Amino acid sequence: MNRVLNLAAFNIRVLLGDPTWFILSWALFALQLAIYGSLISRLVGSNLPNYFFFYSIGLMIIVVFESAEDVGRHFVEHAHEGELPYFLSLPVSRSGFLVAQAIYGVVNTLLKVAPPLLAVLFIWGNLTVSGALFALAALFLLGLGITGTMVSLSFIAFKAVDIYMAVLAGLSALLIRFSTVFYPLAVMPNYYSPVSVLSPLTYGADLTRWVLGFDPKYLLNPVLAAVVVTAIAVSTLSLSARIVDKIIEGVKAA
Amino acid sequence: MGIDVVEEGTKVREVLGIAFQEARGFWRHKPSSILRFHASMFDIDHVKRQDLIEQTMKDLELWESRDKKFMHLSGGQAKRLETAKVLVQRPKLAIFDEPTSQVDLRGKRKIWDKIRELRDQGSTVIVATNEVREAEYLADRVTILHQGQLVVRDSIPKLKDAIAGGDVVEIGFEDPVSDKLVAELKSLGGALTLSPEGNELRAKVSRAEDWVPKMTSASYNLGAKISSIKITEPSLDDVFLHFTGKALVDQQ
Repeated sequence: MNRVLNLAAFNIRVLLGDPTWFILSWALFALQLAIYGSLISRLVGSNLPNYFFFYSIGLMIIVVFESAEDVGRHFVEHAHEGELPYFLSLPVSRSGFLVAQAIYGVVNTLLKVAPPLLAVLFIWGNLTVSGALFALAALFLLGLGITGTMVSLSFIAFKAVDIYMAVLAGLSALLIRFSTVFYPLAVMPNYYSPVSVLSPLTYGADLTRWVLGFDPKYLLNPVLAAVVVTAIAVSTLSLSARIVDKIIEGVKAA
Repeated sequence: MGIDVVEEGTKVREVLGIAFQEARGFWRHKPSSILRFHASMFDIDHVKRQDLIEQTMKDLELWESRDKKFMHLSGGQAKRLETAKVLVQRPKLAIFDEPTSQVDLRGKRKIWDKIRELRDQGSTVIVATNEVREAEYLADRVTILHQGQLVVRDSIPKLKDAIAGGDVVEIGFEDPVSDKLVAELKSLGGALTLSPEGNELRAKVSRAEDWVPKMTSASYNLGAKISSIKITEPSLDDVFLHFTGKALVDQQ
């Protein structure tokens, strides 16, 4: 376990060595919320009370999603920049290697999402230790699920990086648009809502909102959401462990 | 070592150190932190770790660059860092893949000496190289591969001996070489060609160490006084060309 933590720490040190990306991420979050979030909330008006808060949680889901995407990309970059063969030569099991990647992903996600979350809760006057912790836990579970999906898809990159990048772009477009990230299921027309329940982001977003006290009548059943988010995290991480085990043995640096 | 490479992959990697051909990646890490990380992954004693890293970096002339980012290292420095990882680790089995490509002559000698030191400390060392001089300097046993196939594997002296007529013996006599002496030397066997020219005789033999004593006795018995003997054995280049050329002919 010590070696797994060492491996994760090695990658995290790079992350912390250049805080520009975090500052940029927080600045973009603030900008998006201050301009787009406040204006769109006025347009939505009384059709959905407290839409600004709804939107800000949706924006956090996007940050979590993009951060989890980063882990998949990071993994692929390791392969193409020649780091992967070195990591594979270290005395860490393949599942340990994956856990180290996941820890890196979690730290990356928490660093990007925790300050905006705390700021939003503070501004909204809703900042409690339990609320913040439960919300982070929900976002963390969602992040693990997305990370598992992205690492599972990384096998495409071993064939062609361009196709992998295109798949990620397409997948993120679909998963975000067809979800409750920006609009609740309750107001969706019938031709959108059945598709939106297929997106894991729907469950992560609604669970986080429920934890933070958003009106439950606009949200999915929280127990269902918690079960689905946990199931996705467990299943995609298991799948990615199998895929990593199958495909990375014998991978050559590009 | 008794470890199953399929079932016990992690255990195998615990005793294995690899210096890769291409030292790539870790663009934003510093050499010192890369070595610290590597040492920590192989449980190098925490107290000795820093001294070991410092000494290895000094030996490989990396100490001045210890706080540069990897991306700012020259190709030779990156390559030396790759070697340094294995030297710090001191594994039971070390694999060096082209350890001195991109490294200048002085650097090559330093790396070679450190690899030999590692061997002397008890590590089994495998070096993959295209540079025959490197193999000659480092290897106890050489395996020659041609187009991915094993052609021959043996110690360097035995490989050199395996070339029929590979040793060249040039003998200088005080008097012109007589036909009688040439006939006598032919009758000894072991010489593929004998080329007399004035006071000199050039012989191609398989094992000079066997043939020369016989030749000196025969010359003495015939009263031919020897003034000089020069023995040239084949280089590993010759060995390589001999075996890979032969392999090529076999394939055709």
